[in-house]
Amino acid sequence: MITELAGGTVFDPANGLAGETRDLVIADGQMAAATPGARADRRYDLRGLVVMPGAIDIHSHIAGGKVNLARLMMSEEHRDSVTARSAITRSGSGVASPTSFVTGYRYAQLGYTAAFEPAMVPSNARGAHLEMADVPMVDKGAYLMLGNDELLLRLIAGGAEQERINDYVGWMLNATAALGVKTVNPGGISAFKFNARDLAIDAAGPQHGVSPRQVLQALSRAVFELGVPHPLHVHCNQLGVPGNIETTLATIAAADGFPLHLTHAQFHSYGGEGDRRFSSAAARLAEAVNRNKHVTLDVGQILFGQTVTASADTMAQYRNRAFAKPDKWLIMDIECDGGCGLVPFRYRDHNFVNALQWAIGLELFLLVEDPWRVFLTTDHPNGAPFTAYPHLIRLLMDKSFRNDCLKAIHPAAQQATVLGSISREYTLTEIAITTRAAPARILGLAGRGQLGPGAAADIAVYEPAADRERMFAAPRHVFKNGVEIVRDGAILAAPAGATHVVRPEFDAAIEGEIRRFFDDHMSVRLDHFRLSESELADAGLRLVAEACRPRSRA
Amino acid sequence: MAAPSIACPFCGLVCDDLALADGRVDAQGCAKGAAGFARTSSIVEHRVSGRAASLDAAAAAAAALLRAARLPLISGLAADVAGLRALIALADRLGGVIDRWGSAAQLANLALLQREGGMTATFGEIANRADVMVLIGSDPAVAQPRFFDRLVRPRRALYRAAAPHIAFIGRDAAAPSDPAVSERILVGDDRLLDTVSALAAVASGQKVGPEIATAAVRGLADRLAAARYGAIVWDIAAFAAPLRDAATSILLHLLRRLTRKTRCIGLPLGGENDAQGASQAMLWQAGWPGRISFAESTPRHDPWLYDAERLLAAGEVDALLWASAFSPTPPPTTSVPTVALLAADAPPTTAAVEIRVGIPGIDHAGTAMRADTVVALPLQATRPSALPSIAAAAAAILAHLAVAA
Repeated sequence: MITELAGGTVFDPANGLAGETRDLVIADGQMAAATPGARADRRYDLRGLVVMPGAIDIHSHIAGGKVNLARLMMSEEHRDSVTARSAITRSGSGVASPTSFVTGYRYAQLGYTAAFEPAMVPSNARGAHLEMADVPMVDKGAYLMLGNDELLLRLIAGGAEQERINDYVGWMLNATAALGVKTVNPGGISAFKFNARDLAIDAAGPQHGVSPRQVLQALSRAVFELGVPHPLHVHCNQLGVPGNIETTLATIAAADGFPLHLTHAQFHSYGGEGDRRFSSAAARLAEAVNRNKHVTLDVGQILFGQTVTASADTMAQYRNRAFAKPDKWLIMDIECDGGCGLVPFRYRDHNFVNALQWAIGLELFLLVEDPWRVFLTTDHPNGAPFTAYPHLIRLLMDKSFRNDCLKAIHPAAQQATVLGSISREYTLTEIAITTRAAPARILGLAGRGQLGPGAAADIAVYEPAADRERMFAAPRHVFKNGVEIVRDGAILAAPAGATHVVRPEFDAAIEGEIRRFFDDHMSVRLDHFRLSESELADAGLRLVAEACRPRSRA
Repeated sequence: MAAPSIACPFCGLVCDDLALADGRVDAQGCAKGAAGFARTSSIVEHRVSGRAASLDAAAAAAAALLRAARLPLISGLAADVAGLRALIALADRLGGVIDRWGSAAQLANLALLQREGGMTATFGEIANRADVMVLIGSDPAVAQPRFFDRLVRPRRALYRAAAPHIAFIGRDAAAPSDPAVSERILVGDDRLLDTVSALAAVASGQKVGPEIATAAVRGLADRLAAARYGAIVWDIAAFAAPLRDAATSILLHLLRRLTRKTRCIGLPLGGENDAQGASQAMLWQAGWPGRISFAESTPRHDPWLYDAERLLAAGEVDALLWASAFSPTPPPTTSVPTVALLAADAPPTTAAVEIRVGIPGIDHAGTAMRADTVVALPLQATRPSALPSIAAAAAAILAHLAVAA
């Protein structure tokens, strides 16, 4: 089956195309070299239309126990916002906490062809994968949460050599079918279980005396040396606390030159200045990221409206409970390896803090110079539902629109941000980088986020419009593995996407130690903790292993 | 090499340390597990109108019966996660109502989370950490025989040196006999809510008369306040149905108050027959933990209207798809045309279509969720079996619906 996409204006930054007119050829689900004179089975005339690789969401809470708890608590939106079944799609409900099928449909309808769950608790890995098996149309994968797990803290406290920590991390990634490693409030979730309400980056944690800095050092190095493509994905300590910029900058330093990805950086870019003791520190973080080429970030932009925050960071979520709207919240301690906290939020433009959070996120987007190192996220659903991405893209691409929005927020927040003085507007090429090419590269996804020969034919086609929100909200065509799955908002097919994992090499001798720990302390046996390939296949998951290349620092 | 361990799906603990040797399961002294693994396959024949049929013919007849219904009910739901995913898909396609049979107590607990949230923890966290535990309403070991072994006596607790202080509040006849329980505050059912309420009030610093806030209640409130990590475990079914909302609300208030200064979590008992697998799969596929109608092409939840037992009793549904593998429970007596997906040890029924299915964890592999919802465990086949799984049977019915559509 040969499909020709003729005459489109192609934005494919990984292959150096920045709006050139090109004919693209799809053969058997993959991009192929154009052969002059070859006959296509199907031809799309894309003259005048913008063609990009399918978009990739690097950080979106789409599955796992906490997402289900969010659905449970957000009953109002599951009552008010429903999606009907069709001959080829399932029914569902929700906006900030959409059901699994609706999650896949909405992503595809925006031109997204992959989304990654960033906070898979080790003990919840099986449940999270089963749930992701019901997220159709997009590729998916999950980052494994480490850094509050008892065995890692114990290894660090016992002075384990880095090699053994690498083996442990490698074993865990294999056992849970994960794509990367995330750490959330390193050490802090564990400390909260001991009734600590704060953990500074150099504070000795309870029980083991391990500091967040030690966890960051051990994990960032392990991820690098195992050759896992995606750098350690870090949710810093002290999320949401005024003045936390110092912790965020210290986190960069703690990694000691090893690659680091700072996630939902907006929530970690706060100063403690001004009358209200809350200020923007986006410029300081952007300056640090501009200088440190081994650091990337995703923004976690907030947008005004109702959402629900779902986070493993029980310490932060307990602190934030006072701001819950509706007034309910839930905290759960999990299996000596993690936790989760749910707090519904309604971000308001007339609230000083919310308004400044909005501005801080946009400052980060606009002040980080290299679009390859900043990724478009709302930390779905924590800053806003992912369905708000077209609006966010317009804010980035359209300075006058942005400034109009700025005039509508809390006046003191307007005074407290430099946003109005920033003239930068993202270009279509930069949007293609930050939402497609760069996420594929930072995650090590082979053949994604680009349209060169051999790449997966995951493609979004848009009709250009001055109103970029309208343009990105409704792609004309979306292709997944060469099959047209969406046309003008209508779903034509709902195939299952792949699940991306890594399978790093490690010394299997570590398993004896892990097994002893499980036998002595854990509530499941190691053999049942570990996921088998056959059970994942039975659940309908198709695994794609991304290459790991073990490294040592030069 | 030690004998391989397997997981047991016959209560909400889903213990996974049972030994399998030479095809025999050692249930670690648990009568419930032993009985579960001793279940037989006495009837393996599928039947349509009382006559033996192939799986395909039975699935075709089931599809025809269900398609002809104005409002079919899908219930039972004692199924593994794959079975549940397939049954919800079927309910969505049919435009039926789906609700787990006997879910009233579970939904009372979930309603609290929906309305107010909570403070909770998983089994492994409680076993390693809790130094004070309060059991409210019933002996957990009745429904979960190894409760004390699994949640109170782990092999080596990580974060506490001594055994926890365990207190029971409830009626004498329901008191646990396990020696780990060191304190009993015995009150009749009519005083249970008052006593829990008094405990919460004292812990919140409110003035409560000594008649209800007895010395024992005050002492327990002090223990919880002084605990490093308290755990309050309740059986919502011990409270009369009209009092359940109040009970859960008071318990959460207690947890919130204690958490201001120390740590304390709540754990509702339950989770039999993969009840959490059912609520979780319904949540992720439809947005609600049960009592869902797909009749209007979209999921709609109503805790009263879509109660399976009420719908059937009131004659508001005109077909029943009953699915039960973890338990050999036959469909309820009804005049409504019925398709029954039944374990092979369930007695013969009068269902128009009877499809015999395997038991996950005995006849075929699968997944079950623990009562703490976070941990899902793999189940493996422990004997050869040709019986289809609920997932396979539901998929066969769905395929016949698609052909006819």
